[in-house]
Amino acid sequence: MARLDGLDVVSRKMLHGRLQGERRSKRRGQSVEFADHRPYVVGDDLRFVDWNIYGRLDQLFLKLFQEELDLTVHVAFDRSLSMGHPSPDKYRFVRQLAAALGYVSLVHNNRVTVSAFSDRVTGQVAHLRGRARVPELAELMMTVEADGPSLFDTACKQLVSSTPSSGVMLVISDCLFKEGYESGLKRLIGRGHDLYVIQTLSPEELNPTLSGDLKLVDIEDGDLSEVTVSSALIKHYKRNVTAYCNELKAFCTRHGAAYILASTDHPVDRLVLNTLRRIHLLQ
Amino acid sequence: MQWLTPATALYAAAVTVPLLVLLYFLKLKRTEQVVSSTLLWHRAIQDLQVNAPFQKLRRNILLLLQLLAMLAALVALAGPVLNMSQEAGKRVVILIDRSASMNATDGADSMSRLDAALDQARTFVASLRNKAVFSLKDRADQAMIIAFDEHAKVMCNFTSDKSQLLTALQAVTPTDRTSSLGETLTVARAFTQPPGVETNNRTSEQRAQLHLFSDGRIKDLEDQAMQEGELVYHRVGQSSDNVAITAMQARRSYEQTDQIQVFASLAHFGDTPVTCDVQVSVNQDVVAVREVTLSGARADANGVGIMPGRASVEVAVTYDGAGLLEVRQLHADCLSADDAAWTVIAPPKQLNVALVTAGNPVLASVLQACPLAAFKVLTAEAFDEAMADASQSPYDVTVLDNVVPARLPRGRYLVFGAVPEAMGMTVAGSLENQFIVDWRPNHAILKHVNPSNVYVAQAQAVVPPREALVLAQFNGGPAVVLSQLVSGTFVWVGFDCLKSNWPFEPSFVLFCYNVMDYLGMQVTDSHEAQLRAGEPILMRGLMPDTTAELFGPDQETVTVTTDDQGSLRFPGTERVGTYSVAVAGDLPKTFAVNLLDTDESCVAPRSDLVLSGQTVSAQEAPVGLANQALWPWGVILALLFVCLEWWVYNSKMRI
Repeated sequence: MARLDGLDVVSRKMLHGRLQGERRSKRRGQSVEFADHRPYVVGDDLRFVDWNIYGRLDQLFLKLFQEELDLTVHVAFDRSLSMGHPSPDKYRFVRQLAAALGYVSLVHNNRVTVSAFSDRVTGQVAHLRGRARVPELAELMMTVEADGPSLFDTACKQLVSSTPSSGVMLVISDCLFKEGYESGLKRLIGRGHDLYVIQTLSPEELNPTLSGDLKLVDIEDGDLSEVTVSSALIKHYKRNVTAYCNELKAFCTRHGAAYILASTDHPVDRLVLNTLRRIHLLQ
Repeated sequence: MQWLTPATALYAAAVTVPLLVLLYFLKLKRTEQVVSSTLLWHRAIQDLQVNAPFQKLRRNILLLLQLLAMLAALVALAGPVLNMSQEAGKRVVILIDRSASMNATDGADSMSRLDAALDQARTFVASLRNKAVFSLKDRADQAMIIAFDEHAKVMCNFTSDKSQLLTALQAVTPTDRTSSLGETLTVARAFTQPPGVETNNRTSEQRAQLHLFSDGRIKDLEDQAMQEGELVYHRVGQSSDNVAITAMQARRSYEQTDQIQVFASLAHFGDTPVTCDVQVSVNQDVVAVREVTLSGARADANGVGIMPGRASVEVAVTYDGAGLLEVRQLHADCLSADDAAWTVIAPPKQLNVALVTAGNPVLASVLQACPLAAFKVLTAEAFDEAMADASQSPYDVTVLDNVVPARLPRGRYLVFGAVPEAMGMTVAGSLENQFIVDWRPNHAILKHVNPSNVYVAQAQAVVPPREALVLAQFNGGPAVVLSQLVSGTFVWVGFDCLKSNWPFEPSFVLFCYNVMDYLGMQVTDSHEAQLRAGEPILMRGLMPDTTAELFGPDQETVTVTTDDQGSLRFPGTERVGTYSVAVAGDLPKTFAVNLLDTDESCVAPRSDLVLSGQTVSAQEAPVGLANQALWPWGVILALLFVCLEWWVYNSKMRI
C-alpha cells in the first residue's frame, strides 16, 4: 500500500474534469499557469485584464490561465465466468489489479469509477474521490464474484452511458469474447476515454497442458469442442493465442489505445510497479 | 501365390472392416474438460475436429494403420500359400534308398548321397500341404516313409504330422547292403491299399504316389511293374568314379599249408583309366602291394548298362597262423565300402576222421583218398567203448557206415543207412528201388555232384526234423539230409552205399570229398566267418542261453544270447568291416563282412529307371519348397501395423 501511495494515474490526453483538481485542462480557468490573451469583451471579469498591455497598447486584453481539473479514472474489470477459470487465481489477479489501480486513483483525488461487467455492468461504485472512499472500493471487490456470461459490447454500452465524462478507462479482461471486442472498444474510444486494455490470461490459457481425447466445454455458454489433443494441435493453439493477442494489440494501437498482456502467474505488484509505470500509465 | 481359404477371409472382411470403421466413430468416450473459452480452440482445431467424420477419416493415420493391420490379419486368414499344389489331401510314400551305393560321398562338401536324399526328403516333407485351419473341406497331405536296401523298413506310417515325418527321416541310417525294390513296393502297396472298401474315407482305388529318393542303382527294377505316374524318381548323386573290390578269396594250399593264395578282382566304373595300388595285409601288417591298371568303363552292347574296367590280383602270402586278411585298393574314390575286403584265415588243419563200419572197403578207400591228417577204421563195438565217457567226439569227422553206436558224443557225423537216435529223425519204413530225383546242386555238399544216375535198391523212409535241410530227394522221401543239432552236425545218407550203384559213380567220390570239406570247414569255421553285408552272423554248437558280446565296425558293443538250440544269430551286419564275437569263456571269433557287389559298386546314378515296360525319368530339378504357408508373415505384418499404430498414437498424444 505504501508503495502504491507514491503512484498516480497519468493520462496521455488532456481530459476535461468536473471539479478543480491537479490536472491541466484544455479549458481556460483559474490557475497560476498562463495560457493566452484575448480581447476584452463586455462582461469579462476585470480582475483578469492585463494592465501592462493596456498601458503599452491602450487596448484591453484579458489574461487567460489554464484550468486544472480532476481526472476521471474508470476501472472496468471482467467478472464473467471465464475469469474464474481454470483457477481462481485469474480472477483474484484481476480484482487485485483493479483494486490497486482504483486505490492509486483515489489517493490522488481522482474521480474513480470501478465497474464489474459480464454481459452487462453488474457492479459499480461511481464517482469515488479521496482516500476515505477506499472502503467502498474494497467492498465492491470483496462482494463481486465471477459469474455470468460475457457480452462485451452490451457491457461497454452501459459503461459509456454510466460515465458522462471522459477519462482514463482501464479495461481488465481476458478479452476472449466470441462476439468480438472491436465494437465494444470502439464505443469506449469513441467516448473520448484514454483507453488502456489489460488482457489477463492464465498460464493454462497461454500454454495448455491438456492431453488425450477431450470434450472441451466452454464455461460460459456450454459450447462443446471435441478434440484429440496432439502436439500439432497444441502448436496450432499457441499460434492462435499469439495471433489473437497481436490482433488485439494492433487494434488498440490503431485506435490510440494502450495494450498490456498480463499473465496471471506473475505478481500483481510487479505489473503495477513495473509494467504499468513503464508504459506511463502510472508514475 | 494361391489362397487356401479366400472365402473365409472375404466373409470376415465383410464383417470386420465396416465394424472397425463403425467402432472408430463410436469408440471415443471423450473426457469432458471445462475451459474458459473455446474461442481459440475452435480456431486451432478447424482441421482436426473429430465432429466431422469424413474430415476425420481423411487424415486419420490411426484408422488407416488399424485398417492395414486388419487387412494383414485377413490376408493371414485367407491362407496364402506359395507354390501351392492343386491337389489337397494326397497320400505319398517316401522311399529312401539306403543301400551301399548311397554312401558315395560325391555331393557338395563330401555329403553322402543318403544325406542328400534325406535333405531332399525333408524339403519334400516340408512342402506337404497342411490342412487349412478355417476350412471344413480342406485336407492335409499324408506321407509314409520307408527306408530300404534289400529289405524294407517302415520308418513312419501314414501321417500328416510333419515333425513325426522329420523325426523318422532323422532315424534313417545307412547300410552297406544291396538294394532291391520288390519287397519295398510290396510293403508300400500293402499300406497304401488296405483291404476293405473304405478306410479313412478313402477307397482302395485311390493310389498313393511313390516318391523314390535314390541314385537308381537298384537290382530288380525290371521285375517291377508300375502304373503311369505312380512312381516319381528323385535322383541323387553325380559321380561314377569308383574303384571297387568285387571279389576276394583267400585259401590255404593243401600241399603247402602255410601258403595262402589271395585272389581279388577289381572293377573300375569311371570313364578314364586309373592305376592304383592294391595292398594285402594280415593282421594289419602289410605283406604285399601290387600295382593294378584298370581301363575306363564303357557302355555295354545294349547301351544301357556299364561294363566296368576289370583287373585281378593274385598274391601268395606265407602265413601259418590264424588272422584277418585284408585286401585294400588305395585309389581315392567316392565310395569307401568297396575299397577293402576282408577274410578270416584259419590255421592250417587237416582232419582226423574215423570210419565206423562192419566192413566197407569202398568207403574206406574213398575217404583215404581225401587229404586227411589221420584216418581210422573202427568197429561199432570199439567205437562204443572209446566213446563211453566222452562228451565230445575226439574225431573231427566220424563216418557211420550203417551202424548205430550206443552213444554219440557231440561231433560231426556222416551217416550212411541206419538212423542214430541223436539225429531226431523218425523212421517211417523202408523204400525200395529208388532214384534220386531232386537235389540242391548249389549246396556245398552237392557241389559238382550229379546223382541223377544213382539207383538205390533199399533205403530208409524217414521224417526229418523240422530244422533239417533236405539236400537230395527220392521219390518217396529224403535221400540226403543235413541236420544241425545241439548234439552235432549230421549229414545223413538214407541208404547203405553198398546197396546202391553210387560207389561206382564219380559223384560218390565228389560227395565224400565235399562232406569232408564241409564238415572240416566247420572245424575251422572259416566259411561261416566270411559274410556279405546283411547276412547274419551265425554260430552253432554253443551252449543254450550263452551270452556273447559282439563288437562291430560301428565301434559299438552288442550283447547277443544263444537260443535253445545253442545257435547264436546276429542279423545286424549292415556295415562292412570286421565283427568280433566274444563268447564267455572262449577266445573272440572274427567275422568279415564284405560288400563284393558289382551292382552296388557301380555308383553312376541312373537318370532313367527302366521298369517292366515303363521308363521313369528322374526329376529335372531337386525337390523345391512348395506349399509354403505365408500366413505367419500376415500375422507379423499385422502385429507391426498394430505396434506402429500404438507408436503413432503415443507420439500424437505427447505434448
